[in-house]
Amino acid sequence: MARAQAVTAVDRRVWLMIGAIVVAGLLIIPISQQVLGLRLTYTVRVVALGGSILGVISGVLGCFAVLRGESLVGDALSHAALPGVAVAFLLAGRELSWLLIGAGIASWLGLRMVAAILQTTRIKQDAALGIALASWFAAGIALLAYIQSLPDASQAGLDHFIFGQAAAIIERDVRLVSGVGLAVLLAVALFWKEFKLVTFDAEFAGANGFRTGMINTVLSTLIVVTIVLGLQLAGVILMVGMLIAPGIAARQWTQSLDQMVILAAIFGAFAGGVGAVISALDNDIPTGPMIIVVAFALVLLSITLAPGRGLVWSRLSQRANRRRFAAQNTLRDLYRYALRHGDADSLVPDDFIRGVADRSAELGLRQLRAQGHVALSKKGWRLTESGIKRARRIDHNDQLWDMYRLHAHALDLPVLQEDRQAPVASLLPAAAIARLERKLREAEGGA
Amino acid sequence: MILLERGLIEFLLSFLTREELNAFLRSPQNTAALVGGLIAVCGGMLGVYLLLRGMSLTSDAISHTVLLGIVVAFLLMTETFGLEGDTSSPWLILGASLAGVATVVLTEMLYRSGLVKQDAALGLAFPLLFAIAVILVSRFVDDVHLDEDAVLVGEIGLAWANTNSHCFDNCDSVTITPDHPAAKQTRQCVNCRELGISPRDEGAEFRLTCSNCGYYTPAQAFSAGLLEREPLLVFFPKSITVMLVMTVLTTTFVLIFFKELKLTTFDAGLAQALGFRPGWLNYTLMVLVSLVAVGAFDAVGSILVIAFFIVPPAAAYLLTDRLSLMLLISPLIGAAGTFFGYDLARGQLFGVIPVSAGIAALNRLFGLELIEQWDSSISASMVLMIFILFVLAWVLSPRYGLLSTQIRLANRRRRFADQVVLAHIHNHQHTALHKTECRLDTLHKHFRWRPARMRRVMARLRALGYVRVVAGIAELTERGDRQVHAFRQTMLEARNMPDLA
Repeated sequence: MARAQAVTAVDRRVWLMIGAIVVAGLLIIPISQQVLGLRLTYTVRVVALGGSILGVISGVLGCFAVLRGESLVGDALSHAALPGVAVAFLLAGRELSWLLIGAGIASWLGLRMVAAILQTTRIKQDAALGIALASWFAAGIALLAYIQSLPDASQAGLDHFIFGQAAAIIERDVRLVSGVGLAVLLAVALFWKEFKLVTFDAEFAGANGFRTGMINTVLSTLIVVTIVLGLQLAGVILMVGMLIAPGIAARQWTQSLDQMVILAAIFGAFAGGVGAVISALDNDIPTGPMIIVVAFALVLLSITLAPGRGLVWSRLSQRANRRRFAAQNTLRDLYRYALRHGDADSLVPDDFIRGVADRSAELGLRQLRAQGHVALSKKGWRLTESGIKRARRIDHNDQLWDMYRLHAHALDLPVLQEDRQAPVASLLPAAAIARLERKLREAEGGA
Repeated sequence: MILLERGLIEFLLSFLTREELNAFLRSPQNTAALVGGLIAVCGGMLGVYLLLRGMSLTSDAISHTVLLGIVVAFLLMTETFGLEGDTSSPWLILGASLAGVATVVLTEMLYRSGLVKQDAALGLAFPLLFAIAVILVSRFVDDVHLDEDAVLVGEIGLAWANTNSHCFDNCDSVTITPDHPAAKQTRQCVNCRELGISPRDEGAEFRLTCSNCGYYTPAQAFSAGLLEREPLLVFFPKSITVMLVMTVLTTTFVLIFFKELKLTTFDAGLAQALGFRPGWLNYTLMVLVSLVAVGAFDAVGSILVIAFFIVPPAAAYLLTDRLSLMLLISPLIGAAGTFFGYDLARGQLFGVIPVSAGIAALNRLFGLELIEQWDSSISASMVLMIFILFVLAWVLSPRYGLLSTQIRLANRRRRFADQVVLAHIHNHQHTALHKTECRLDTLHKHFRWRPARMRRVMARLRALGYVRVVAGIAELTERGDRQVHAFRQTMLEARNMPDLA
């Protein structure tokens, strides 16, 4: 019950965060123009818009690639697109949509080749991807070199597909990208349940009659389309970063796919837009690499700061746990020693408590003193009133756990994960606690 | 490096004359094949271990991030220490190998945080380092030898042109100082630009500068016309020296640590338990990969170099199960690829089939108007050739090839069909149902086969003498009977059961 409520609370927090980011994102353009006096030229706005749209699409599809453990497939696919660009140029001339179709076909064929190598040989996925990547890319380079030797001038700039050439994006390209992107997102929405199932438990999906092979093909085709759209902006080498970075960043903030996909879309849009604007401020900064750097900054931020999973968070909670644990153990040690040597408030020599657990005792004593549970006198440590009360409670809980461990089976109690930090009374029904108490009294009476 | 080259040349000169050596090295094909072959040997051997460790794509990542090391070292050299930028300087190589190790370390840090999967960590680390490198290059470096294109797509066909000259006779180096008779003095206005005046205006101050002062090596001095006697020179391509050193390093490493590498590759846990240090060996391997990648990037570019690391070992993996054989076959495949790749770039497939004929055929088929003269990137063609060799291994490998697997499967299917039919006849032969169960014209229905398949199987069984047909009914011959019993015996033995029959 408590856990379910906690999950809903986290859920709501993430939704609130998403809402806040969207509002901030919508406000940032008028604010930056009015307050900072930042005048974005038409070209910059077009590039930023293109970058954001691509960021949204690759963020969404990247989530699936990351979750399926296929992050590097994006790398192979983007390299494999190059010969398609070259062949399309030879066949149809310099027309963006044809170039992209060619790129898509080549990259899709590369994907099929990887699948064929995996199915028919014992070569593992990484090497298969490497083979497809290197050979397809070499074919592309060979064809580009051939094209460059042709006496036709229109091939200039074709090799910009290698690095991406965001500055040359024009409004028509953005329109094309948003049109295709919308179709891709619609397809994701349409196959949402299937994609989710195949991503997390393909065997279960298969057992329930879903055609996993077909769903996988649709999903990888959509990833291919995304990569091909992104080539213009990020280029073949950096496309993999653009694809997976938003997904990885989003993964740190949430446990649910819906939120992860939406967050990844937002992160992607942010990286694409901001990267494009930064690179517009200085002519020498290329757009694609800048987008990757911004995206990685988001990943770093998420890995360190994300609540629940982030490095800072887990470091803090580890420290708090260690302290609590040390305080509890030290308190118990003090209490037991004192009882054995007379009363609960009798003196405990410093040597003893440090001898039992040196560093943990140090930590624990500092905690207990700050909480007013112990007092330091010249000769040693003495439990205070509140300390004795607390120690008694902890000791009692500890003994109840002992009883639970001994008699849980005989008393037919529900199975619990033993966690001595937690009070037994909150985990078991009252009747069961009463029985444990009786056992405890019997044990004490017997002793 | 220079001394090493000199020693090597002196060694070679004991077999060849100077003219022969120069002519050999000045041929683009010889130099390209030599450099490519050396890259193939290094990459082929290191790649075997990468492949077996499941780290093939690490070479992809490293080959990209060495750019960052090169760029940072280059900037430090030119901006901070004021040295001359030179893409084959040992500092660049050091920077590149550090960058290679940094990639591996960054990937492991991301992975160890437990928040990112291994492949995703690699996919994050190397685009980042590469992106930073590209930004640095386009922001701070204006040097013809160092731009992104040069790094990505090197041209091995130009390897012969980038040489060190070694002089063996008439070695007069010349230093021209301003008072040397050959010095050319020009007057230059010192403050014209500042004041915005022309040199003819009043107030212009002049300084005499020497336009050709400096140190001339014998080769430079001769080509500048400063020497009368021609020095005896040997021009040695730098790439060959670099790759030769890498090859020696790699081969020594693989030979010395053969046992340790084998152990850590196949059972890292056992290696650790036995007191070896798999981590150190792994990092050394990565340093070597970076060194080879940086040594090769001049020649083949950083993306194509990964082909040398991945494709030949994969082909060798399909051909053999022995590590030592793999280490031998993989460099051979790479070297063969580079050898035939040069011809491919010049329009000859395997030296016999002209590519232009293929283009002509395409033109005829699709009505295109492509130029039939095929003249393409040599390094890319080498990789394509290696890939073609891989496909050949994939199809033709005696044990794991597509063809042999298909043949094995077909054989097994045929043997199974034979056994099933023989067993069917054997089961019914001496029973009352023999006449209905084994009638030749309805036999296929009992197996739910197509009649044609049944006819083929029966023809085979009769040709083998296992079955004879008496009045349209199939029955086993003596031989067929023995065959059924023998098969039955092997089946029972396989299941370890006594024969109850």
